[in-house]
Amino acid sequence: MLVSKSKGTNSLLASEKKSLYRFLTLYVLMMMSIIVLIALFYYQNQEKMMFLSKRDMLSDYAYEQIKKLKILHNTFPADNAYPRDSRFKSGIYDLEYVKIFSLLESEDIDFTKDMYRTSDNKIHFVKTLFEYYLGAKYLFLEIPDDGDWREETWENIFIFGGLAIVFFTIIGFYIANLFLSPMRSSLLLLDRFIKDTTHELNTPLSTILANIEMIDTSSIGEDNQKKINRINIAAKTVSQLYQDLTYITLEQDIHKNDEKVETKALIENRIEYFDSLAKSKDITFVLDLKKSYIHINRHKWTRVIDNIISNAIKYNNRKGVIYITLKKNTLTISDTGIGIELTKIPFVFDRYIRFNHSEGGFGIGLNIVKKIIEEYDMKIEIKSKPNEGTQVVIRW
Amino acid sequence: MVRILVFVSIVLFSSHADDAYERNCIKCHEVLPFSLREIFMRYLAAYGGENNVKVGLNHYFKYPAKDISVMSIAFLNHYGIDHHSKINEKELKQAIDIYWQKHKVIGRLK
Ligand code: HEC
Repeated sequence: MLVSKSKGTNSLLASEKKSLYRFLTLYVLMMMSIIVLIALFYYQNQEKMMFLSKRDMLSDYAYEQIKKLKILHNTFPADNAYPRDSRFKSGIYDLEYVKIFSLLESEDIDFTKDMYRTSDNKIHFVKTLFEYYLGAKYLFLEIPDDGDWREETWENIFIFGGLAIVFFTIIGFYIANLFLSPMRSSLLLLDRFIKDTTHELNTPLSTILANIEMIDTSSIGEDNQKKINRINIAAKTVSQLYQDLTYITLEQDIHKNDEKVETKALIENRIEYFDSLAKSKDITFVLDLKKSYIHINRHKWTRVIDNIISNAIKYNNRKGVIYITLKKNTLTISDTGIGIELTKIPFVFDRYIRFNHSEGGFGIGLNIVKKIIEEYDMKIEIKSKPNEGTQVVIRW
Repeated sequence: MVRILVFVSIVLFSSHADDAYERNCIKCHEVLPFSLREIFMRYLAAYGGENNVKVGLNHYFKYPAKDISVMSIAFLNHYGIDHHSKINEKELKQAIDIYWQKHKVIGRLK
């Protein structure tokens, strides 16, 4: 009992899935952007720290270099050898950004910053001169970026980013569960209620049906015959419902007992069963049935056919037609009824879903059909147009 | 020193010697204690880029003033300031261009 209960509620409904996916995409997007943002901030901060640690040193270098430029300024052009230093590369530009002389390896020159990393991994330190020795206003110093800090930074980003992802995923699952649990508990409650009630329905229902069968219709007047017929129809409708409910709460986990079933005879039998119900709405059946065998649990196969036929009657118009075509591996049942809107078709198999509240029912019929169809690896397809009718095709 | 002498003599005796700069500037400045090259380097240190130097020179020649001069006050007091206003506009412009070309640093460092 417990097993069947949890099984019935653990599989997600299509409507549940939709809202869950929405929530998850939103959550993942938010989580990712937060992590990326933090990583970016951290990276920039590390870069700043690295700059800071080199800034003093470069500042000293620049001071020395400017002193040498000053000397050269006073001896030029007798001496025209640009001062070189093994610790750094350098270059000078005038205030019109024209290159005067440069030993820099990187072409990446930026006059607006005082320290930056070039695209080819060099660090540039820029010093502005107040007296333009040799015409130079900007002195660029270049040292290679050893990259140690970057490696370390990336390592940290991956480790902590990964941990954050794991952490947020766990939280996400927790939230998603919270999110679904009200839906679930209401389903569970409904399941339990139905299970309790159906149990009490069995005996009175069998009594009614058996006694109607036993009434000798020839001995009573036509008026009473009609009334009895109505009782018969009503009892059969309730019986169908009872079958579905017991199936969903009790029998769905009873596996196998599969046998070779001849579908043509089964359909004819079921049409006879539904005959009085169909007649009450003046519905006619148009049949095109070939003999067809299938290996299946007879009771389950009957639930499938019953549910589709009873839907076709329930949602058909007065004086409507039901077409049933049976070929070797396909069963097609179509009606001329009210149809279903295209956007609602994906949800027809969800449990407790009913689009038309004027008709009775619990909205479990097609849910059962779907489960059985999936159990036997068959395919079901629903085509429908509002106000024209619905067609259900089963292939195996 | 030797190089400067050679340079000066080439400038003086070559057939191209007769340009606006030669005509207008050299003779007068020869007698001054600061060479035109030294003065140029002062301009360069004060004005930086090519356009800036040229505009600076042009402006000084037209509106000489002690407070914008690159020379020392003692020097200016001794020599006076208004020595360039008689040179005509076109000659002056050419002379300045040649002056820059002769002494510029860009492309001369090794
Ligand atoms: C009439 C003589 C004379 C001529 C011609 C002359 N200069 Fe001068 N120049 C001087 C004297 C004197 C000074 C120093 C006083 C001063 O700085 O104004 C001077 C100063 C300068 C200065 C320094 C300006 C400053 O900021 O003080 C420059 C540059 C200069 N001359 C360039 C030239 C050039 C270029 C030419 C040719 C177009 C030229 N001079 C022609 C006499 C002359």
